[in-house]
Amino acid sequence: MSEVALLQIIGMCVIGVGIIILLFIKGMFLRVLGFVAMVLGVFSLIALSVPQMASLPPAVETFDIASVKSPDDLASIGQKIFFSKGQCALCHSIGPSESARCPDLSGIGAKLSPEFIYESLTQPQAYIYLDFRHDGIPKEYPAQMPHIDQDPIGLSKQEIYSVIAFLQKMSGEPISIKVEDIMESVEEPDVSLKVASVTSPLNSQTPNMADR
Amino acid sequence: MTSAGQLRHATIVQGMNRMPGLLKLGSFLALLFLPALAMAAGGAEIQAMSVEYRDVPGIGSRNLVWVVAQQHLLLAGFVLGVPIFAWICELVGWKTKEQRYDKLAKEFTKLLTSAYATTALFGGILLFLLIGLYPKLMAYLTDMFFPSFLVYCLLFLLETATLYMYWYGWDYMQGNKKTFHLFLGFLLNLFALGIMIVPNSWATFQASPVVVGEGDAWARAWMAMKNPTWWPVNIHRLIANVVLGGFIVGAYAGVRYLLAVSREEREHYDWMGYVGNFIGVFGMLPLPFAGYWLMREVYQYNQQMGITLMGGFLAWLFILQAMLIGVLFLGANYYFWLGITHRIPGSEGQYKKPVMGMLIVLLLCLGVWMTPHSLVASLAEAQKMGGTHHPLLGVFGVMSAKMTVSNIMILVTFMSFIMYWRAGKQETAGWAKAAKAIMGALLVIAGIAVVVLGVWGYFVPAIIRINYFSVAQVLIVLFIMVTFTPLTALLMKSAKTTTEMVWGKMPIRAGYSLVLNAVMVILLMSLMGYARSSSRVHWHIYGVMRDTSEYAYSPALGYAAAFMSLNTFVFCLIVAFIFWVATLGDKAKAQPPKGSPVDIPSHTAPAMAGGAPSSGEKLE
Repeated sequence: MSEVALLQIIGMCVIGVGIIILLFIKGMFLRVLGFVAMVLGVFSLIALSVPQMASLPPAVETFDIASVKSPDDLASIGQKIFFSKGQCALCHSIGPSESARCPDLSGIGAKLSPEFIYESLTQPQAYIYLDFRHDGIPKEYPAQMPHIDQDPIGLSKQEIYSVIAFLQKMSGEPISIKVEDIMESVEEPDVSLKVASVTSPLNSQTPNMADR
Repeated sequence: MTSAGQLRHATIVQGMNRMPGLLKLGSFLALLFLPALAMAAGGAEIQAMSVEYRDVPGIGSRNLVWVVAQQHLLLAGFVLGVPIFAWICELVGWKTKEQRYDKLAKEFTKLLTSAYATTALFGGILLFLLIGLYPKLMAYLTDMFFPSFLVYCLLFLLETATLYMYWYGWDYMQGNKKTFHLFLGFLLNLFALGIMIVPNSWATFQASPVVVGEGDAWARAWMAMKNPTWWPVNIHRLIANVVLGGFIVGAYAGVRYLLAVSREEREHYDWMGYVGNFIGVFGMLPLPFAGYWLMREVYQYNQQMGITLMGGFLAWLFILQAMLIGVLFLGANYYFWLGITHRIPGSEGQYKKPVMGMLIVLLLCLGVWMTPHSLVASLAEAQKMGGTHHPLLGVFGVMSAKMTVSNIMILVTFMSFIMYWRAGKQETAGWAKAAKAIMGALLVIAGIAVVVLGVWGYFVPAIIRINYFSVAQVLIVLFIMVTFTPLTALLMKSAKTTTEMVWGKMPIRAGYSLVLNAVMVILLMSLMGYARSSSRVHWHIYGVMRDTSEYAYSPALGYAAAFMSLNTFVFCLIVAFIFWVATLGDKAKAQPPKGSPVDIPSHTAPAMAGGAPSSGEKLE
């Protein structure tokens, strides 16, 4: 017997009990309970009569380094990370959007260098603009951007490179991240905690933008 | 404590150093009173290192949490809604000098002490279950929100202290001290509002998380609390609690009316049922607007989540919601109509035609609201129709039609109330005729405008309809409610009573209709709780923390409805138990001798409907 059929039988039994109480029991409180049971039974039966659709979770996406054969594969993985684990789309849009709370990233891969993007993701406070929209000394904007390589998002270095590859591809730029660089970075220990000093495959020198 | 725990503790202390004195004192007190919670949170973190989930054999962890959380939420709605109800009644009693409103307020405040304990009991069970069954999620939420936990507990202390003073000081704070007692009632509701909105931020963060940047623990918690759906949910729940409180009071009165053996009891509970239904309807009218705002924010936050709710696997849920709201509207109106025909003798014939007209409009609107966007059709039927959209009915299955009919149903219910208010009275003001003509014209214009905007909505882009047309429809209906209420109150102030209102003459079905309304509200809250939770699909925290347990799926509507029914029935039993316990003392008191004067004048119209307050019993 299917689950729906079982629940339908239970619903009908509940309604039946409610009817019997209303017909044969004189105690008013019990009659009210019988009435409530009838109402709830009818509601359940109606709910069981509409299309029954459950929402099943999709398979978990994993970053399989072995599956990366070309920069396009990398960008494809980066796209998945952008919209899932990376949580980028929680705030950023790609193209104009009324609901986006942070800058539109369309064309960002063409406007900014990979190094700058990498630093923005891992050291969001490193280079911030000043707010001159008031009298007196300009204030620093607090960067809303979290450290993407730290908890709770905690992207690995390879995942960050993949996202940058996606941003470049999405902007119509040639993807400058090489598959070999990704393979090399896998072997680097504890990369996420040494972002400022790491010798990245993007550039041998990752300048601190705050010094500019 | 782990080093991470010590680090977080240090961060909290640092954060406290930057706080204003009073808040710092409160937080310190909360810290003192909360060793158990802090330890429990710390324990969850340690467990989270090794265990992500635990299960409960048989029922399953998700189902157990579902039942306990639902009971806690419904009870919380009850204990937050009843003080609003009681305070409004006390305020009306104070303003109109009618003792019976004060007595009614006191009668329901008495329930709060036992109801609070039961709510806290379920809250405690829920907390332990969550820490034990979902340690990883709870560790994450604790890390994010711990400072708000302290505020929450501080609010609980303040709420409890205020409730004690409010309840135990009721008789003492009469006469000159009444204003202070009312102020305590206001504080009680203010703290209750805080108790509601703080945990709302945790739940709404799960549905609409924001990326939390740098800062101390307090700053990070505040960033997480200010998520896009927080305030829409706060407002929606606040209004819904008023509705729940009103209709549960109505149901209690309905049951007591059915059980009543004396004329005095029937009169009293008939009147109580009227007040409960009035406040329930009063809250119900703006509730769809708050719901609309919430859905707008959901769409703004994440269109995919909005589509999952309205057009995805939860689409049929909104047909059930339409059915429940429709029955609630019908039940509330039916009770008004019964009141007109049974409490105001001789008015049956006078109001028969308008009541019939309103019933037809409500049924037609309900039919449109319940029309699904896509029909369940066999292959042959679908081929005949050219798809799953029916050539005629398909027109009614879209948002433009549903927004229009929901606004019309609100207008009709509001006019039912106005009709009840004016029944049995004759306006004497010189400007009454002109005012009635203006009101009639405004009502017709508003009805036409709502329909025209609804039809026009088919021919414009969705964004124009959502941003302008639907908002205009809502504003038109609100305008009618905001202008008609004071105008009618002014008219009735100088009106003479042509037919006295008689209490205690309602038929038995009136009592059942009050019970039905309460059941509909409880089911609606359960249904929409399932919708809110399921809209996150397979995420504990949408897009941030994935549910990797075996219960990561959202069950189908039929299975969920069975749980909602079970939860509703259990909640009804718990509330009945609370009422029974609270009235045990009353039963022991001596019954008044037969024929003794009752405190409810049977001939007066209720002050809440603008009746003649001067004829009620005066407060000392």
